[in-house]
Amino acid sequence: MTLPTARALYPAFTVAEHDPMADQACLERIADWCERYTPCVGLVAPDGLALDITGAAHLLGGEEKLLADCLKRLSSQGFKVRGAISGTAESARAIALFGQGRIIAPGEEAKAALPLPLAALGIDNKLIMALARLGFKHISDIAGQARAPFVARFGADFMDRLDRVQALVQSSISPRRSMAPYVTERRFAEPIGHEDDVHRTILTLAADLARLMEKRGEGARHLELGFFRTDGVMRRLEIETARPLREPKAIMRLFRERLDALKDPLDPGFGFDVIRLSAAITEEISIHEPDFASKNDLAEDFASLIEHLGVRLTPARVLQLQSEDTHWPDRAAPFIPARNGNTALAADWEVWHEPDYAPLRPIRLLEPPEPIDVIAEVPDGAPIRLRWRRVFHVVIKAEGPERIAPEWWRLIGQAPSLTRDYFRIENEYGIRFWIFREGIFGRECVHPQWFMHGLFG
Amino acid sequence: MSVTREAFMALKQAIEGIGRDGARRFGGVERDRVSVGIPEIDQILGGGLMHGATHDIMALTPRDLSAASGFALGLVGLLSPREMPWVWIRQDAAGRELGEPYGPGLAGYGLNPAKLLLVKVPNAKEALRAAEESLRCQALSVVLLEPWGDPKQLDLTATRRLSLAAEESGVALITLRSGGHSPLGSSRTRWEISAAPSRSETEFEVGLPAFLGRLVVNRQAGAGGPGGEWIMEWSHDKCLFRQANSILGVSAPRNGSAPETPSLPHLRYAS
Repeated sequence: MTLPTARALYPAFTVAEHDPMADQACLERIADWCERYTPCVGLVAPDGLALDITGAAHLLGGEEKLLADCLKRLSSQGFKVRGAISGTAESARAIALFGQGRIIAPGEEAKAALPLPLAALGIDNKLIMALARLGFKHISDIAGQARAPFVARFGADFMDRLDRVQALVQSSISPRRSMAPYVTERRFAEPIGHEDDVHRTILTLAADLARLMEKRGEGARHLELGFFRTDGVMRRLEIETARPLREPKAIMRLFRERLDALKDPLDPGFGFDVIRLSAAITEEISIHEPDFASKNDLAEDFASLIEHLGVRLTPARVLQLQSEDTHWPDRAAPFIPARNGNTALAADWEVWHEPDYAPLRPIRLLEPPEPIDVIAEVPDGAPIRLRWRRVFHVVIKAEGPERIAPEWWRLIGQAPSLTRDYFRIENEYGIRFWIFREGIFGRECVHPQWFMHGLFG
Repeated sequence: MSVTREAFMALKQAIEGIGRDGARRFGGVERDRVSVGIPEIDQILGGGLMHGATHDIMALTPRDLSAASGFALGLVGLLSPREMPWVWIRQDAAGRELGEPYGPGLAGYGLNPAKLLLVKVPNAKEALRAAEESLRCQALSVVLLEPWGDPKQLDLTATRRLSLAAEESGVALITLRSGGHSPLGSSRTRWEISAAPSRSETEFEVGLPAFLGRLVVNRQAGAGGPGGEWIMEWSHDKCLFRQANSILGVSAPRNGSAPETPSLPHLRYAS
């Protein structure tokens, strides 16, 4: 039916453009919400979700109650929803979309699948039409037949689907997120929303988590806190720690800091009914004898500083220098996120100086180098005047060139290809710059471009 | 009442742990003051630059910012033993305008790049928070705070808080300011820095980093003078300043004569 026809039949028609992105986002949000039932939730495009409730059903009083609860909550949020529980995700999907019974007992999947139409296999329409022309309309029509002709004609995938829908083979859903090894959660009959309650809950969850991790002598490097609101909104907070962490109070402190730093504060709405804390990445805690030498305490102190700053500002803003074995200035000293473990890194910084000779490298590096206008007496000589950021500088002293060739052993396109001639210069006020000319005049280029690359003290 | 020998020794140790003017010992070393390298300045400061205090560095004009950075890193070099971590908190704008710390350059400056923790902060508020947090960490030697412009947040109360935190932990705070008439706060010293030409024999070489430094506030305990003005050179191999000349010195030490003026070829002054 075309839109004008539909409008003619029913003028009060609301038209919305199909927006697959928005649909996907919505499905993702529902998937987030579904994590209240199990951490293992997979997307079934375009409009389905598969939940692996193995070992999770009893927490909500059995499969029946879980399914009823899930369907009720989702429909009360305004979604049209159908659900089923079965031995494989494909079987459950087929039953939910085309079948009658909602919960299929173990071993009954194959029988339950028989009366379903072939569309339940999730195959495309063309194939369904082709099969219909051959007289195959329901799963029962195919289930008893010899496999080989079907495989030959419709592909192995077709028969695999049939097996999975009948739960004859095991299949696993691909969870959206990797499963955390340690998970603790609290469910509330009466939703909580008060800040103090939330904080208290986090602390008890952290204590639970600590007990779990202690059994295996591990500590968390990556923690995640999930807040499930009664109205279906789910909010996730993640923190990275600088060392394996187990101490509940320390975990609590990190999350408090994270909560304080949120740009859009945590909105409880009508309250949270589930709060979950999980440790996604863990590491063994090396048990060290409590040592009364102050050195250990200081190291601990430093690690916790890195952690706190990282939680507040994101780890990408709390950095350490790494010494790279290269002569190319841009790549010699990259910053990497600080970790307690790598405080020992690059203990072997090459000493770039000799007594009484000025430092060869600037203390601050402009990244990327900024183009400058230069007047030089000869094309391959030192500049006598230059303009940087619209300000003229008269060059009083210039030392150079120091020729730095590109790293030819790196692939073309990944590394700059022009040789640089670096000069250390001093202007009329005594400000010292590190500048370079890109390209060798006459050999690599005709008009070499000049750049400002760094500032000396 | 009998006092056991152990109790007595513990008490004695506790008393030894308290330094002359409340400065505590760290790891068995008394971190009280460090020499700047120029006897005249040490004397005016009352024995050297103090740990656990705030030292303010202002660039005289915006073009002197790189010199101010160099001077600030010199103070880091003075106050930070090589094996101790130090923190550089810089606002994003400062990193864009002046560049990011450069490892080989820091190593060549006499500092230990491996012990640098660089904290990039988006605004002055976060800079203050990060600074306060860092100052409470006794594992550090120096916190270098580099806000951009003249942020309102860095007011009297805020700087007082930072100074208290610094005193408490013994970590020195160096604030590197890019401008404005920020309040003096509770800094122990304040330096106005401008760039100075380096000493060199010819115009084909650049000499050691040089600064024209003016000590405008001097409130260290036992300080022996109002301030002064010096041309200083940073000697990276000794990790100390040294005097390039004193002809611009407006205040010589109260007692004692001004040192001799060395001849300075190719020295030019800002007009």
